[in-house]
Formats: sequence, structure tokens, C-alpha cells
Amino acid sequence: MEKLPLGLVMELRNVVPYKTGSWRTLMPINVMHTPPCNHACPAGNDIRGFLRVLAEKKDYEQAWHMLTRTNPFPAVCGRVCPHPCEGGCNRRDFDEPLAINCAERAVGDYGLENNLKHKKLIETRKEKVAVIGSGPAGFSCAFHLAKRGFQVKIYEANSEPGGMMRYGIPSYRQPNYVLKQEIDNILSLGVELECNVKVGVNIPFDQLRNEYDAVFLGMGAQKGVSIDIPGKDAENVFTGVEFLKQVNTGKWVEIGNDVVVIGGGNTAMDCARVAKRLGANVNIVYRRTRNEMPAITAEIDEAMEERIMFRYHTNPVKLVLDEGRVVGLLCVQMELREPDASGRARPVPISGSEAFIPADTVIMATGQAVDYDGIEIQTVDKRWIYTNEYLMTSTEGVFAGGDAVAGLETVSLAIGQGMRAASAIEDYIEGNKESELAQQPVVISRELNTYYYQPVKRYEKEARSIHMRLKGFKEIYPTFDQDDIIAEADRCFSCGLCFDCGNCYMYCPDNAVKKSKTTGLYEFDYDFCKGCGLCAKECPCHYIQMTLEK
Amino acid sequence: MNQNAEELNKVEKKDLFTSGHRACGGCGQALAARLVQDASGENTIACVATGCLEVFSSPYPDPSWRIPFLHSLFENASAVASGVEAAYKALKKGPVNIIAQGGDGSTADIGFQSISGMFERGHNVLYVCYDNEAYMNTGVQRSSFTPYGARTSTTPMGNKTRKKNMPLIAADHGIPYVATATVDDFRDLQRKVKTALSIEGPKYIHILAPCPLGWGHHGELTVQICRLAKDTGLFPIYEIIDGKLANVKKIRAKVPVEEYLKLQGRFSHLFKKGGSKETIAEIQNIANQNIERYNL
Amino acid sequence: MLKQVEGSRAVAEVVAKCRPNVISAYPITPQTHIVEDLASIVGRGDLDAEYVNVESEFSAASVVLGASAAGARAYSATTSQGLLLMSEVIYCIAGMRLPIVFTIANRAISAPLSIWNDQQDSMALRDAGWIQLHAEDNQEAADLHIQAFKIAEETHLPVMVCMDGFILTHAFEPVDVPDQKEVDNFLPPFKPTNIVDPRWPRGIGLFADPRFYMETRYTLHRAMEKSEETIKKVSEGFAKAFGRDSGGFIKTYKLKDADVVVISMGSIVGTIKDLIDQLEEEGKKVGLLQICSYRPFPRREIYNSLKDKMNIVVVEKSISLGRGGILASDVRWSFPRAEKKDRNISSFIAGLGGRNITKNDLRYMVEKVEKEPVELEFLGLKKELISEKDL
Repeated sequence: MEKLPLGLVMELRNVVPYKTGSWRTLMPINVMHTPPCNHACPAGNDIRGFLRVLAEKKDYEQAWHMLTRTNPFPAVCGRVCPHPCEGGCNRRDFDEPLAINCAERAVGDYGLENNLKHKKLIETRKEKVAVIGSGPAGFSCAFHLAKRGFQVKIYEANSEPGGMMRYGIPSYRQPNYVLKQEIDNILSLGVELECNVKVGVNIPFDQLRNEYDAVFLGMGAQKGVSIDIPGKDAENVFTGVEFLKQVNTGKWVEIGNDVVVIGGGNTAMDCARVAKRLGANVNIVYRRTRNEMPAITAEIDEAMEERIMFRYHTNPVKLVLDEGRVVGLLCVQMELREPDASGRARPVPISGSEAFIPADTVIMATGQAVDYDGIEIQTVDKRWIYTNEYLMTSTEGVFAGGDAVAGLETVSLAIGQGMRAASAIEDYIEGNKESELAQQPVVISRELNTYYYQPVKRYEKEARSIHMRLKGFKEIYPTFDQDDIIAEADRCFSCGLCFDCGNCYMYCPDNAVKKSKTTGLYEFDYDFCKGCGLCAKECPCHYIQMTLEK
Repeated sequence: MNQNAEELNKVEKKDLFTSGHRACGGCGQALAARLVQDASGENTIACVATGCLEVFSSPYPDPSWRIPFLHSLFENASAVASGVEAAYKALKKGPVNIIAQGGDGSTADIGFQSISGMFERGHNVLYVCYDNEAYMNTGVQRSSFTPYGARTSTTPMGNKTRKKNMPLIAADHGIPYVATATVDDFRDLQRKVKTALSIEGPKYIHILAPCPLGWGHHGELTVQICRLAKDTGLFPIYEIIDGKLANVKKIRAKVPVEEYLKLQGRFSHLFKKGGSKETIAEIQNIANQNIERYNL
Repeated sequence: MLKQVEGSRAVAEVVAKCRPNVISAYPITPQTHIVEDLASIVGRGDLDAEYVNVESEFSAASVVLGASAAGARAYSATTSQGLLLMSEVIYCIAGMRLPIVFTIANRAISAPLSIWNDQQDSMALRDAGWIQLHAEDNQEAADLHIQAFKIAEETHLPVMVCMDGFILTHAFEPVDVPDQKEVDNFLPPFKPTNIVDPRWPRGIGLFADPRFYMETRYTLHRAMEKSEETIKKVSEGFAKAFGRDSGGFIKTYKLKDADVVVISMGSIVGTIKDLIDQLEEEGKKVGLLQICSYRPFPRREIYNSLKDKMNIVVVEKSISLGRGGILASDVRWSFPRAEKKDRNISSFIAGLGGRNITKNDLRYMVEKVEKEPVELEFLGLKKELISEKDL
């Protein structure tokens, strides 16, 4: 022990402070949480990540690289994704959710404008993987495998790549040049693409299974299913996918003045709006009501804006033919009863309510199925391909994803499944046990401390006028302003990840939150932390949690 | 005032009042003291009165001060600071920031004589009062800053007097700068300290420092309680510069006093069976008067 | 320079020449002339110092404490009620080992209110850890201040210079007030250590828990005991520099053959010396032991000087109510128990509240103790004013 100084006057330079950390019963830890946006994203994107890069660093290039770590199609998704992320955004409980979809598109468009390129993670390795189908699932799988060095070849039955992105989604929603540029970017990683090859027909499936170390099935559900009513085989009756494919390959389709579209899904909406742009009056006929329509809300709203007629509670009974061509439909009114197997209200026809609707063209957008021609694979109820949770089918070395597995889903989900399948394929080839991704808990809005924020209006994308829209197939929403998007990204609460607000650093009464000189992040000095919990309470993004002291 | 706005608004963290002190977890006074010392910088002499601050921060052999501090007695922080200032003037040393710091008692009760003398003589000293609304160090006894209705160990039925308005008393001494602040807005608090230190003459800053132990709330709520104290109108934030009210912080969204009171154990008797609605109404009345008087 | 000057005035002039940097005092009778004179001296510009007009004695001591802790040579003066009011700070200053000098113009303590002289006030603070020096006359009062600053700064102990209020402070006597150069030669500039300074941060006034407190008290006690050396050295140095004896530990007068020894301190000593001279002419041998430094108490000196003296009488202007004479107890304690048996140590309380002490009173006292020892007696008590039951 030191000798007592004169008058107990003490030099303060070399004081050994008393370690008050021993008082704790609770201790703060930094816990990265999953934000609800990331949690909701079917493609597994780090939405919080790229939004924070935009907000803090205002760096579109870095945001693009961050987003394309998981999603090679940001410009496409920014146009077509139904953005479940926005539905989960915690800011919706404070003022309005972030316009994440607009931000994604802005980042994707920046990548296109500035010709940003994907980066390979490692050098090429010897293993080869075959991908069947060049839709979002196939390309996503190919992209992730190529980044990891695998040699990938995509076999595409159509004459151009893109699957439903190319042949299903009309160009006023998703222009072809955007898709082409993003596809070329993926191909530039060294992915081989052969079109006009239908596996199972032009090439035996087993040959691929022997030649390649693994196979990914991403052929989607591109076979149109019509409803079985008399007259469905007439010349001017199309399935939805048939119709869209013809229009999207640039063929002129003669549809006349009145078009009736049967169905309530996204394909039906697309068909109706395409037909409208081709100059026809369009009626959509659906046997239930708007509430039961599976189409994305925005699509239905935009179709209504474009003056497409919606006839609910209406079901066609038969097609009326004249000289082998359809001239109209005979429809009956339905009433809704208790829910059926699909969980939706069961429609029951009202007898005596038959009516005739004239039509020059009838489009049946009433379902899609997988084209298994020549491919032997176990299915679920003969509809979708059976896979386990790692997206491996029951056939050794064959994986699958996208609409062919999940049913009629979205581009984003297909991209996400492609990514997961790529990981599973890598594990399979290397003989690893499939790696489990630790799930962090999701942050909910009441766990955030939003006192520090003011309500700010959300960015709203502006559509062209209806008049301009219907003139042709130009994009409905013109390019977004980059600075506006950065301002919108700044509204992101960064749920679950520290964004350097400095609250914990300033509020600790014990000076026990230190700024690391190396990482610049905030760390706790457990020698002195008393566990009062102020840091955790005042953290706006719930990055700090109090746990029991060990 | 020769400091520009950027310097004034910069948030300072310098570890001049650092870890190792024995304050309760979540102590509002420790937080305030840390913010004040950091805002003032290394060229500071702290004259501290006996109280929680002194007792938890200056034991031998491990005080948590890294700037020179002088602690004498409970009631003479201002007088001691006056002496230090006189010495620096006489010895023609300096300039140096002299900050006298104390709590309820050393400001408004037992130390009232000293602070009044210091103000009246015009010493170039900043006095910072950490208002935790009772004599916390000795066991939560009532002080002249204890608000109406609060339970302390010497007013177990609830305090019957209103809070002494020390900032106005200070201002009426004719001093050039008076301010009130809370620990939740650290930027504002530090700015006020820096502004004060740039003015010659006696200055007074009154900081609301919630005491988890004495007020009966969990340590993590310290900052939130300050916000509620502001938003109910019970603790108005303002400056008085050369005798004129200035920079009054308007209430963002008014909150009824119950929101503030129910978080604290010292007001819990108002909400129990037999609790007094009149007291709560009176407290609301005090808040409303503040809102009107200071135009919050 | 020799002047016919009021005691307060002399003290003020001498203190000003000691170059204090901060002076802070609250007026209280009978110290007022000291502080007023100092205010004039500072106001005229003859002394470059900060003069702080505080609002109470408590603040006066606090200001001086703060100033000293910041490295200034600090001074104040008080008495009686003021000293008691600032007693908290007095103890604090001692504990902090600040070299502060105070003038105490000894005065009686209320209640009942009395502005006249006795020594109850400085006695009340004898345990605080301050060096207490008592002046016999105005010359010594002035001289002791110069010595006090030097003693304080060398021992790191605060010093109280006690002079009897009114009797000394308001009396006009010839006093040799040294000039500035002489004082500067004797008293070097203050070189403070252990001060609050942002360039080298220190904490002053930390609290000590049971692990450390006792050692601080021990150190203070030992420092006080060892300060005897410094007190004596400074007094000798003063004699050499200024050519007169002043201060020191104890002084004796005609002690050698004395049968009766009177022990006392303060201005009363002058009257006692006159009486001794008178009694000597009458053939009585009486001696005086004058205590200059009351704290630290000159126990050894008393014992050594009075080993062979069997009849000792202590006369003092203070009392420990409920116990008896304070100085008398201290003196009685100076002799080991074994040697107390045949020795008479009588205790007389005199002059409380400014009651005049005449040579006749003292003569009565000496004659009484020649006959028999006196446990405790109030000298000159007017029994006719006291009701039967209180006697």
C-alpha cells in the first residue's frame, strides 16, 4: 500500500480505478438482431445493410455490391417484387414504412447505368453443375455457384433467357433491356448458356445427371392450364402464359376489340393490361371477389386505373362459338359460401343467373403447371417437385427451386431458393453436412426507442398519366431521383444493428461504453459497467440487450 | 461570446470524470457530472460540495476525477470556489474554468448563504446544481427542491411545499447567465456549460438529475423520466441571459403528469387506494402554470 | 519603525507586509479594526491582494481555504461567535494541511452575549489541529504574525495568533512595525505544493474510510508535536533578525527561586509580572511560566522547568463547563502521576466576559495558594449576585 500523502491530497494521474463491474447482476451485450425487412425478404437480402450504406455513405456503388451479394437482379426486383419487406418495416408503426422497393430499383438502375460488374469470390474449380431453366431461380443458382468457382451451364428451352421474367412479365412493368443487362452481367462470371435446348426432350435428363456433379431444376411452371369448359380449344382462346409469351416475343397478336380474361392472379392482370395496351376493351371475369384474388394489390389497383372492367362473382360456363371461333362466354353469377380447401370462400352458382358476355378473344389465366416432359422426378400430388428443406429432390444430386417447387410464387422467392440451393449444392459436392444459418431474433417495433425520430413523409413513386401509360409498353414509373432515394434510405431505423448514434456512448454514467480505436464500434467496459440498462433502453435500434450476468 | 456555433454544439467525451465511482447504476447525477466536466475540458478546477457526487466520486485512494477537484464541506462549495477564483486573480494565473458543483442542500438550503454571496460579489465561477429533489446522500430526506406530493423519508405522507425556484432566484441576483437543463439532452446540456464558461461573472446552471434509488425507478429509466419531466411541463428548460428569458424549449407533445408520476416509487402513494386525486390535480396545476409562465 | 499605534492597526500593517494574496474576513467586534485597516491598505494599493467581502465568517474561512488550496497565501481574522460559526471549516483546513494564518481577537462566547475579552473562543477549538500562539502584548502580537506565516508554510499546519480582544486590539502601545524589506528578508515568498492546478491534477478533500482515517489523524498529531522544533527555530531566527525575543514555546520570569509559580497566557501575563516584582520587594518569591504556544502544548517544557516546584497556580480566562479549568488540566497532565502527590496545582478562573483582573485579585490568589491548594476557584466572583440555590 502507498503511504498516505500529506493532507490526503492525491495525485490524480495514476489512480487505479475501483472496478465497479463487480456490482452487476445484469450486463449489456451487443446483439445483432434480424430486422423485420430482412426477415420478410424471400430472397434473403440484407435490406438494412444496403439502406444504411445509402443513408450513411451515400454510396450507390457499395449499396449495389451489398445487394447483389444475394440478389443478382436488383433492377428487375425493384420493378416487380411485391415487397413483403415493406409490410414488415418497423417504421410503419411510427409513421410510414420505408419505400424499400423504390430504393432497390434505384440501386439496380445505378448498377445498369454505371455498368457495375459482379465479383467472383474464388477461382474456378473443377466441379460442374447443370442448371435447367434460365428464369430467376436458375440464374440465381447459377450466379451463386459461379461466384464460388463452380463451372455452370444453363440449359434454356426458349430462344432467349429469362424465363417468366422475359416471357411472362410485360415490358411496361419490366423492360427487356433491363433484364438483358442483368443477365449478361451474370453470364460474364463465366456461366455458360445454351438456348433452344429442352432438357428431357432435346437432351436426356440422365445424361446431365451423369455428366455433371449436380443438377438444379428451375424450369418454373410455364404450362398454362385452362378451365375445362366447352370451346376451350378454339383458335382465339389462349392460356395466360401462352398469350404473354407471344406478345413478349414481339409477335403481333390479333385480339380484336373485346377481350375477356378469366382469372384473378398476377398473370390475369398482366394479360388484361397487355390486351388493353393492344387497343382492346378488357373485362376480367373472376368467380370470387377482390378479397380472394391472389394478384398483388398494386397490380389490381393499376389495372382498375387503366379502366379494365372487373366482373366479380362471375364464372364462365361455356364458350359460345361461331364457325369455330369464340364470340363470347356464357357466365353464371356465383355466391360465396363457407371456405373450401384453399381456405377461400366457396363459390356456388346462382341458378337462373346466366348471362352472355361478347368476346373477340378469351384468355384463360386460370393456373399454371410444371412441364415435366421427359424429366423423371418425384412430385407432390403430381404438381410441384418434392424437395427437402435443403431444396434437394428425392433424386441424388438433383436440386430444385422456384415456381416448380413452391407453386406460383414470386421472382424474389425464386431468387432466394436459387441461392439456398446453390449453398446446398456446394455442401453436397464437398460432402459437408448442410450448414445451418443461425437465426437471430427479429426486432419488433415496440422494442425500438423511437423518441429520437420525427415523422417524415415516405417517398412516393410517381406514375405516368393513364393516357401516357396506355399509349404503348413504356415503363409506368420513370427513373427515381438518386438524392430522393438517399433521403428515403435515411429514414431506415437500422433495426437490430448499430448505426453509430452515440447514445450509449454519451448516456453511460460510468463511462463504461468505449469507442474501439480499431473498429470504431462501441464496446462495453465490463470492468466498470454496473448493469443499469440505460444504454439498452436508449438504443433506438435495439442493438443492446440486457442479459443475466454470467 | 467568442465561440462559434459549431464548437458550442459539438458533443464532448473526454473521460475527465470517469469510471470507478460508486454511484448507483443509472445515476442521473453521475451522468450529469460526466457531461459537465467533459464540456468544460481539462483546464478546470471543480469545487465540489459534500453530497452524493462527492461521496461516490472521491474516496481515497481511487477517486474518479481526472481534473483537479477541491472538496471542503457541505455548504461551502460556492465560497471555496470564490476563494480559488480570488487566488487566481491575485496570483495573476489562469484563465481557468472554476466550476462549483453541489446538490439540493449545498445550493438552496444550507449552502444558500454561500451561493448568494458568490453571486452578489460577482466571482467568475460557474455553479452547477444537480437537482435530485431531496437530500439523497443522507437517505432521501426532503429538501427545498422536493416537489409537491413527493414522498421522502422526512415527508412520508407526501411533501406539502412547492419546489423552490432557484434559477429565478439566481437570475434576480443580477448574474449574466442562468440555464436549466436535463441529462437526456446531452447536446443541449454541454452547449449550455460551454456558453456559460465563455461569459465573465457568476453563472448558474440547474440540472435535473433523476435518482433511481430516491425516486423509486429502475436505473434504465433515468433518461426517459427526464424527457417526461420536460414534456409534462414540470421542469421547464430555458436560459436567462442578462436577465431576460431566452431559448425556451417548447414541449414537443404535452403529456399529462400521471405519465411522469406513475413511473416513480416516490409518487406511488398517489395511485394506491386512498391516494389523493387532489394532489395529482395540484401537480398538474403546477405543470400548467409552468407551461403558461414560460410559454412552453 | 516604532509607532504609537492601536494594536489592531499594528497587526494589519504587519500582516500586509507579509504579502498575503487573498484576504477574506467578516467583521466582528473586536476584530473589526484589523479588517478595516487591511481594506484601506489594499484599497490604497499598498498591498496587491484580493480582498473578498464575504457574507459570513463561515464563507470567510471557506474562501481562505479555497484560496490556499489554489496556491495563494491566505489570511483572515475572527473571534468568538465567528470562530464558532466557522469551526467546521477550521477543522477542514487543518485536515487538509493548508498553511493559513488567522488572527483571533479573543472574546467571550454567547450566551449571554458579551463582546469583551476572555479566551473561551480559541480554547473551544484547541483540538482542531491548529497551532495556537498567544501574544502577551501588541508588539508580540505583531511579531507573531510574521512568525506565524513562516511556521505555517514550513510545517503545513495552520496557525492561530491569539490576542486578547479590546485589551490588546484596542490598546495604543508603542509597537515597532518592521519595514517591508525586513519582513521580506525573514519571510520568503510562498511556494505552495499540493494545490489544485489543471496542469497537474490533484484531488483535495477526498474522503477516508476506516481503512485510512486513523492514520491521517495520527500524522496530524505527530506533525503538531514536531512543529515544536519549528516554532522554536522561527522564534530564534526572529530574535536574530529583528533583535527582540518574541514567541517561542514558553517564557519564564523570575522562576529560579520561586516558591509559588503562576502559569498563564495572554495579556494577563503583564499584570502578573508587575505583581511578581511587587511581591519580590515584599520578600515573597513568586515566579511566572508564560505559555506562548498553547497548541502544541509545551508539556515537556513545563515539566522540566517546574520539576522542583511544588506550588503551582494556573490562572486562565477559560473554563470547561462541568469540568474545570482547561489550562489547569493541561498543566496537571504535564506531571507524571507519581510526581503529583506532593505537588499542588491550583486552578483559578479569571477575567471571563472581560472582568477586570487587578493586581489585588492576583495577590489574593497567590496568598491563598501559599496556605492551601485550590481545586477550582473563580477569581473575584461576586457571590452577592448569585442566588442561594445556585451556589
